[in-house]
Amino acid sequence: MPDAPPSPPGAMEYDYTNFYFGAGEDAFALLAPFDDWWQDVKPAGYYLYELPLHTAPSTRVDVEDTKTHEIRKGLINFASYNYLGLSYRPEVKEAIKEAADIYGGGSSGSPILSGTTLLHRQFSDEIASWKGKEAALLFPTGYSANVGTIAGLMRSGDLIVADQYAHASIVDGMILSKATSRFFRHNNVGDLDKKLSRHEGKKLVIVEGVYSMDGDVPPLAGILEVCRKHNARLMIDEAHSAFVFGSTGRGVAEEQGLEDEVDIHLGTFSKSLGGQGGYVAGSSQLINYLRGFSRSRFFSCALSPVVVAGLRKALELSRNEPELRDKLWENVAFMQRTLSDLGVPTGDSTSQVIPIMVRDDARIFQMGEEIFREGVFINPVKYPAVGKHKSRFRMSISAAHTKEDLSEGAEIIARVLRRYAICP
Amino acid sequence: MSVVSYGFRTGVSAFFEMATPDAEAVLPAYLQPIEVRHQRSVLAVTAFLFEDSDVGAYTELMFSVIVPPQVAKWGEHAKAGFYPYLAATSSAEARRQRGERFHFQYLDEDIDVRFVETGDRCQVKAWARGEPLVDFSVTQRTWEDTSHLLQGYSNCENHRYRSTVQISGRYTVHENEQGSMTLYPHELTAPLLAQEITPYPFREHWFKNGREVFHSLEQF
Ligand SMILES: Cc1ncc(COP(=O)(O)O)c(C=O)c1O
Repeated sequence: MPDAPPSPPGAMEYDYTNFYFGAGEDAFALLAPFDDWWQDVKPAGYYLYELPLHTAPSTRVDVEDTKTHEIRKGLINFASYNYLGLSYRPEVKEAIKEAADIYGGGSSGSPILSGTTLLHRQFSDEIASWKGKEAALLFPTGYSANVGTIAGLMRSGDLIVADQYAHASIVDGMILSKATSRFFRHNNVGDLDKKLSRHEGKKLVIVEGVYSMDGDVPPLAGILEVCRKHNARLMIDEAHSAFVFGSTGRGVAEEQGLEDEVDIHLGTFSKSLGGQGGYVAGSSQLINYLRGFSRSRFFSCALSPVVVAGLRKALELSRNEPELRDKLWENVAFMQRTLSDLGVPTGDSTSQVIPIMVRDDARIFQMGEEIFREGVFINPVKYPAVGKHKSRFRMSISAAHTKEDLSEGAEIIARVLRRYAICP
Repeated sequence: MSVVSYGFRTGVSAFFEMATPDAEAVLPAYLQPIEVRHQRSVLAVTAFLFEDSDVGAYTELMFSVIVPPQVAKWGEHAKAGFYPYLAATSSAEARRQRGERFHFQYLDEDIDVRFVETGDRCQVKAWARGEPLVDFSVTQRTWEDTSHLLQGYSNCENHRYRSTVQISGRYTVHENEQGSMTLYPHELTAPLLAQEITPYPFREHWFKNGREVFHSLEQF
């Protein structure tokens, strides 16, 4: 019989899920074990998160390497959400400066008290008009838009069914609502049908426009048919699809010709508009109700007027320059082709979010470090953010990328992946 | 308790989502389920073919709820915890011994478990008295050597026990949702049939040619 003591696995085999519950009575019981683990794993790869940028999130960025304390200059940026390259446009910066002159830095109040400026009112009207909806409500972030909308509408005893890949902000809204929660198999209409059955009472189904880790889109027609069958309302979070999908940029619901059928349209300003904040748009009755019941908006300071001014200009540019979307889709097609020619595995993306599927949890940080040092800024994603052995680099394409950025970036990534036999 | 070791040829463990209230109903008050997502806990369905043990060769089928391991000090804590609550073996001697040693509760009848490997899949079929209990399967990804440190929890007459278990061997794991499970009516599976359990595992583990070593059993 072997009698060696048990040997714990190496530090990198642990992850955040192992520090969620603790044994001790003290509320701080988990701090020290987590910190000790963190000191071990940070240099091995976790340091690749939260690297400070020293420049705007444009297509080339200077990023601080917190391991070596060097500034890595001119990296090709596939990490930022700036899908239309709007956040640093001179027109946007000018609008921000003008607003700062008038309003100063912040809004100094909840939107329902003193925090609503003329800019906020104009912008929410513009969002409603752009979406072709009766009304819209602004939130401080996309996260709070989801939390406030879901928990504002649904109650204990109701049923919420979301796609299994739904973003954390959707899940947190479900938790806060105290409704019964179910998740259907990703994009699987038959499973949604099953999950909606055997429940009497109010039902809400939640999908995303573009899934943030996979870059694929929902089959809305089938989902709507099932929603109707079960008398469920449908909400779509177009965080990654608003302003880029559809002939006028209104999102995946527009692209699939089903805008009027979807009951609740939600999105963020942090991705394609390159700013910050979230919105929900729909009927004036819906918006009026949520104005009173969305606690994440009601009890939180309104967006800074400076941010709103930049967003108004970014919205205007995105509406007036449809060629930005054309350029984005041209870039996406070019990058898909380039990666495919290089044999880089990319999953089922049909959007500007392209996962580079390395499926190697043990070595993804090593690859990430090499890609970073060789000239590309891109985020590694591994368990528990995605399933085990579904680790990937999450690539964001922007309309602002040049073909040279894309080719050079793809070449660097492929060169590193070749060393790991992930591409030929 | 001294170290006890069981050599196995095959070990299969499939993780399914179950409703958290169902998991909570199974667990003693001092344990809580780990959730994979809001209101969804983890049912582990595990089958082993032991070839080398002090009671000879036998097979075992176990349904457990996955719970958090006790975090002691970084560097010493297990990767995961499990609370077995429905278990059965092919050998009366094995269940008597494991029941005494670890206080796991076993079904009081022999079962039969077969492991059928075809292509990249391992199909597990369990019967009791010739009637099917459960069929489940997992698939392979890349194989590697592994060593898992786990905590097994059990309860007996108001005593709480925790054992430290190390499973080593060739190993493959993935979350590609390619496995399956069908449960059949039986005393053992009855509590599960009434529940909302996903018909496919979200995580599939498969071990070969390894050892399961029980290092300690503490009462706490
Ligand atoms: C689908 C989805 N919804 C909501 C959010 C949250 O948006 P924000 O970052 O604007 O708070 C994100 C952000 O990553 C997202 O991917």
